[in-house]
Amino acid sequence: MTQERDSFDTGGARDGSTEGESEDGGAERAEPVRSAKGRWRLTRRGFLIGLGVAGAGLAVGAYFGRPVVHGIMAESMAEAEHAGSSFMQLPDDPPLWLEVLEDSRIRLSLTKVEMGQGVHTSIAQIAVEELGISWDDLVVEQADTSSKMVDGMGTGGSFSVATSYGPLRRAAAGMRSLLQREAAVLLEQPEAALRVAGRGFAVADSPENKVDFYSLAGAVTSWDLPEEEALQLKAADEYTVVGQPVARIDIPDKVTGQAVYGYDMRVPNMLYGAVARPPTLEAKLVGASAGEAAAIEGVKEIVIDVENGFAGVVATSRSAAWSAVKAMETDWDEGHLWQQEEIEALIEPAGEGGITIQREGNAAGVLGRETAITATYRSPFAVQAPLEAPAALADVQDGQVTVWVSTQSHERAKGLIAEALGVEADTVRVVPTYLGGGFGAKLDTGVAVEAARLSRAAGVPVHVGWDRREAMLHGYLRPPTKSVLSGALDGNGRIVAMEHRQGSSDVAFSFMPAFMEIVLGADFGATVGARIGYDVPNRTVTAWRKTLPVWTGWWRGLGLFANTFAVESFVDELAAAAGADPLQFRLDHLPDSPAGGRMRAVLEAAGKLSGWGTAPPESRARGVACFGSNTVVAQVAEVSVDEGSGEITVHRVDCAVDCGLVVNPDGAKAQIEGNVMWGVGSTLIEQAYVKDGRLELNNFESYPLLTMRGAPDVRSVLVDTGIDTPYGMGEPPIGPVGAAIGNAFTAATGMRIRTLPMTPARVVDTLAGGAS
Amino acid sequence: MELKVNGTSFTLDVPGEERLLWVLRDWLGLTGTKFGCGVGICGACTVHVNGAAVRSCLMPLAAVAGADIRTIEGLAATDAGGTVTLHPVQQAFIDHQVPQCGWCMSGQIMQAASFLAQNPQPSEEETVRAMSGNYCRCGCYVRIRQAVQQAAGMAGGEEVAT
Repeated sequence: MTQERDSFDTGGARDGSTEGESEDGGAERAEPVRSAKGRWRLTRRGFLIGLGVAGAGLAVGAYFGRPVVHGIMAESMAEAEHAGSSFMQLPDDPPLWLEVLEDSRIRLSLTKVEMGQGVHTSIAQIAVEELGISWDDLVVEQADTSSKMVDGMGTGGSFSVATSYGPLRRAAAGMRSLLQREAAVLLEQPEAALRVAGRGFAVADSPENKVDFYSLAGAVTSWDLPEEEALQLKAADEYTVVGQPVARIDIPDKVTGQAVYGYDMRVPNMLYGAVARPPTLEAKLVGASAGEAAAIEGVKEIVIDVENGFAGVVATSRSAAWSAVKAMETDWDEGHLWQQEEIEALIEPAGEGGITIQREGNAAGVLGRETAITATYRSPFAVQAPLEAPAALADVQDGQVTVWVSTQSHERAKGLIAEALGVEADTVRVVPTYLGGGFGAKLDTGVAVEAARLSRAAGVPVHVGWDRREAMLHGYLRPPTKSVLSGALDGNGRIVAMEHRQGSSDVAFSFMPAFMEIVLGADFGATVGARIGYDVPNRTVTAWRKTLPVWTGWWRGLGLFANTFAVESFVDELAAAAGADPLQFRLDHLPDSPAGGRMRAVLEAAGKLSGWGTAPPESRARGVACFGSNTVVAQVAEVSVDEGSGEITVHRVDCAVDCGLVVNPDGAKAQIEGNVMWGVGSTLIEQAYVKDGRLELNNFESYPLLTMRGAPDVRSVLVDTGIDTPYGMGEPPIGPVGAAIGNAFTAATGMRIRTLPMTPARVVDTLAGGAS
Repeated sequence: MELKVNGTSFTLDVPGEERLLWVLRDWLGLTGTKFGCGVGICGACTVHVNGAAVRSCLMPLAAVAGADIRTIEGLAATDAGGTVTLHPVQQAFIDHQVPQCGWCMSGQIMQAASFLAQNPQPSEEETVRAMSGNYCRCGCYVRIRQAVQQAAGMAGGEEVAT
């Protein structure tokens, strides 16, 4: 794939309004109009100007109408309960673009970024499939903000393949149809007699009679895009590329050191920047001066803007910049010095402001009458810690701002940069690079703004790369949670009532205007996974939004990990009270619905994979847990516990997933494996806390990550229940991991740990009968 | 200061206390070696110095002057005709589709290549021990382990070039 973009300016090409009327774009714009036949029609001039191809009409693009995109995205997002229907704004322009290149290859430009989840490959598979071309004849390109393909969603929420699938199939099939129609004219054959052959069309029974895509693209003066219903999409059983374990296109460059990330960006004459950081959670900059920094060799510029809380340096090397920023004199108003106990008291799921997000029957009434079981679960702050720390290169010159950055949302970065610099957004170009991990951390990339500010001051390109301590302390964290679960059984061991009271600080709401609370009610990011999916006649879930002095936000799976830990641990507690097998207890409480059927399929598959019902290897025990939204997941963890040291070893996690139509099964399995590792790390190791007004974090010594030594074997199976569209895969498998391990711990020891992480000290304490 | 990287000698006017990582990345433009933590914990910056895997983020330039330094960019073999042959570890990482984000992978591969040069036929336990100092936040550990074991097989009893 290529990364270059400079040779190709799409100018103002765009479709009309959602009503299908021509946009008043003037002569410089494409001119999509709705013809009398009700078809989308683009004049040739529209294509040419739209694509900005110099000189001649030698290229053609095809894009799909906004109404189609909106329809598909709205539908898909409304269903995507786990990340919320208002996750981000819908795009104003098509987020995908197909174009015929001069050598008749077809270029696919993507707004979605590659951060290891494999979306560039998966989305390319979809395009190749419907275009009918061979894999080598597609060029995949990362779009930047100058492409005019506005993707306000960014890359996250496990949405990329799910939301691209329908629109891209239609765009690709539409393009193929347009070219085929033109080929029929040129070759004087009926369309049905033509086949895609190499980089063009040929007559099926006389292959030497052919024409290449580029000739076709240049030969026509107008195009009528086919009606959506007239498009001939492949049936799933005709697929030869989608559904195959295609090798990832980004991997060769990643094993040879050639892949370029934001931290790697270099241009001639660039300098290095660093920015002063607040010493406490509430610190406000009240004064700054150069101090000793000016005397440090290599320092070129010292930038102080107390009003905007900014103090930074520009130097000839990164080491000099980091040394100089430490040598600056900065005065801070430190604010209240928060302690962890105060934070934990704030997370209480009680009092005013609770928002009920699920209610059937009268759980409170039943729980008041019956003998209820109640348990409280807690999870701590956690850091995303992508191994590539935030980094951006900015070049601010001649009224133009160009920024290369590892970001999950280049559109958001563009807006933040324009706002910070006080310039028009259309003077800002943000180019996303490969990301050295995202996991939600790079949906908000303040480092891009820092680089732009320093570049403007220095008058040369400036690269800012955070060090690990900055990355640990100055991003947003996964919020701490507290869940209080109550339930009651009837005489037959069935759950008759269940209640979940959940407290969390913000996830999505940290990045949304205040009025979104009125529109959405609860923060969908904080509450994902909190609902009770089992068939329980009386059930209530209420969420309390708690405001903390710590910036909390996106993290892989959002609230899914913590909420599923709480709900699925508690289901095991109810199963134990009923004297039931935990897997059978779940199966017995599945709703009689398509969703229930899919969950049954993955639970049974995970059970079979793990040998559930047979004796585990000596000294090991198993636990099961599951989660369902569009994608449904069931896992069985096999663990052992060293009761002396308190160390839990997770030997194996068996995982069954139904994520709908699988585009790349090997990529899907890789996502399962990564999610399991994240879940194990969060269950056993990861935690952050507040002390004396600051996060007690420094480098990895204060926040170690899982290593290969602690990594379980992962076996996975992709379950097909006949869903003909892909669902998300990047996050759902993280959900059940904590509960599966916790349930296995209980099976091994008879004790239960309800506070994460399950550190050796906490295990020893629990086994000694202490509080958990 | 004289520095020999991937078989090429460089003369650099860089302070001796500058860390090798930043010299490679920012002076020589060899950005395949990654910054992860700067304190020698994560292993993303692993390179070979005289064949041994070292954390370049901690290594002062003065300490490696004159040494034979190899980075990920110089791990594959190029013959006289210009044909590039990937190192068995690199090939195994492709075969197993190991990398996700890829940021740690240069370090993983350099660590594995050095390890296999010293221990061409490791047990799985030895592989786990050798590789447990390298973080992979994407969680590719299962595949890394499999790929290193495969590379050991590919290398057979022969010495693995570093």
